[in-house]
Amino acid sequence: MRALLPTLRAPRGFSAPAFLAYLAVIALVALVPQLSRKPLILHMWIMVFLAIAQGSAWNVVGGYAGQYSVGHAAYFGMGAYITMLLLELHQVAPWYGIAVAVAGSVLLSVIIGSITFRLRGPYFVLASIAMAEIIRLAALHFKDLTRGAEGILLSSIPPLETRWFTVRFLGKVPFFYATLGLAVIVISVNWLVQHTKLGYTFQAIREDQDAAHSLGINPTLHKNLALMISAAFTASAGGLFALYVRFVDPNIAFGIDVSVQMVLICIIGGIGTILGPVVGSVVLVLLSETLRNPKWLVQAGLLGDESPTVAFIEGRLSNAHVLFYGVLVVLVVLFAPDGFLGLLRTAVARVKRRLAARRSPPGQPAGAA
Amino acid sequence: MTVFLQSLLSGILVGGVYALIGIGLTIIFGVMRVINFAHGDLLMLGMYVTWGLFTLFGIDPYLSLLVTAPVLFLWGALLQKVFINRVLNALPQNQILLTIGLGLVMSNGVMLGFTSDYRILTTTYSSSSFQLFGLSVSQPLLYSFLVTVAITAALFWFLQTTDTGQAIRATAQDRDAAQLMGINVKRMSVLAFGLGTALAGTAGALLAPTYYIFPQVGGPFTLKAFVVVVLGGMGSIVGATLGGILIGVTESLSAVYVASGLKELVVYVLFLLILLFRPSGLLGKSRT
Repeated sequence: MRALLPTLRAPRGFSAPAFLAYLAVIALVALVPQLSRKPLILHMWIMVFLAIAQGSAWNVVGGYAGQYSVGHAAYFGMGAYITMLLLELHQVAPWYGIAVAVAGSVLLSVIIGSITFRLRGPYFVLASIAMAEIIRLAALHFKDLTRGAEGILLSSIPPLETRWFTVRFLGKVPFFYATLGLAVIVISVNWLVQHTKLGYTFQAIREDQDAAHSLGINPTLHKNLALMISAAFTASAGGLFALYVRFVDPNIAFGIDVSVQMVLICIIGGIGTILGPVVGSVVLVLLSETLRNPKWLVQAGLLGDESPTVAFIEGRLSNAHVLFYGVLVVLVVLFAPDGFLGLLRTAVARVKRRLAARRSPPGQPAGAA
Repeated sequence: MTVFLQSLLSGILVGGVYALIGIGLTIIFGVMRVINFAHGDLLMLGMYVTWGLFTLFGIDPYLSLLVTAPVLFLWGALLQKVFINRVLNALPQNQILLTIGLGLVMSNGVMLGFTSDYRILTTTYSSSSFQLFGLSVSQPLLYSFLVTVAITAALFWFLQTTDTGQAIRATAQDRDAAQLMGINVKRMSVLAFGLGTALAGTAGALLAPTYYIFPQVGGPFTLKAFVVVVLGGMGSIVGATLGGILIGVTESLSAVYVASGLKELVVYVLFLLILLFRPSGLLGKSRT
């Protein structure tokens, strides 16, 4: 358990230039709302940040611990519902609400984990889907608690008042920073998982559960720990999402597409890597939001006001984004099982080999050095 | 008592169709060890083909089975040759994702072509019923059940007695050994996926007169098919038949005695219990 405690010396794999580059990217992204406040552009960023948070959260248990949960909608929805119910029915401010939501979802993950982690492979996948479906059906049925299919519409979010500043949740800028912050935290957690002892145990279980067990790793405990971490951040993303769209119903929150999307983000980007979910989120969100609402291209100045492309997408393709998801997944599984990031790596390696071959004298096999 | 018998009866009738869906899934799993997450979407395609034939040409849904089943068979064989075949040795996760992707393409392709409007296929007998010992038996459900029984019987005969059927079963038992015995394993895989798809399509056709038809109708059926198959034991056809009936009855009884909104919830809870306490299903793999 020592790995859980913060250590003073830098963990293995830490590189100062990479860390500074990471900070620089965050700082640059944080400047975006200061430069432009076009709502559709900010909306795109927020959706990307939320997707990164969800994908990276799933990555902890799916990518690093190798447990392909297709039921993460349970935690996403739990985060969304607890936050909304506390705010709308009991006037609990959302920053406390999300904390309660995270606690509730972690508790739920312990329950679900202790049931489903007895199963392996496809049976685990099926059990995780069944769990999320049970919760969705319960949320639809128990109307006294959840208002059923009607959902919960948010009337207003109270301003956050501290001694130094006041944040009013009007417009998109507060959500931009809140979701950016969450995305940064979850990416950092992925980095920690990749480079600390606790994370090594996850990866050992992914590679060979029985071998890991024989080395003294308790697979059930560590799988549950991975799921708890994952559930906590998935629930935070759910809470922020619900506050941002100001509405939640059982299908938006607990629907199986929510679970599938988290898996797709990681698969398309590159599973079990830090940057994979980031790449996957950018690809998926750009694709789906462009097809749903191509007007952002106009606001971004990429297309003219009367562009025929916008009209074409709005007229013909507005419902097709899931179709494109499907095509993308089929292509990735068949031709690029390591995702876009894997493709990029192979391409870089090939270029390097070409360069090396050019430098080496003719007659020698390329890359023989 | 009448209520109990009535819901038991309609549970059995619906369960027959579930059995058909489950048998298709279990054949595919048995031969290729691939879990087909697109199964419900194949069923949806069967519904749309039936609906199309009915609205365009006025062909009765039970008669149009003669078209629907072969069309879906060819479609399944094509999917196997082009897509599934390439991931037979890949990680199970990737197989699952591939079939999820194919399912998304099918359901959303149909949505793009036919919009997400609910379609209804109304035959002259859609809402009529027989009276039997004081119980009412819905006509379309009864016809569907009878067709299911006939198809299941034919399938048993095919798998047990014909050479091709035995070759399929041999492939399911041990792929390598079957290959060494001179069985064309690749051909059997194509046949099995085609057969599974045709069964899903048939189930879709049988459900068409009593269900709303829309592009996303498949999802719940995929999950239900898994429940049926796991309940009976993965790869077991007898198991899937029993599992289907059992699920139909469970749903129907819990709709009456628990709450109609919770009937699927009860099924999933049952599913989890089976997974935990009897993971090999009610009838294990050995009886395939």
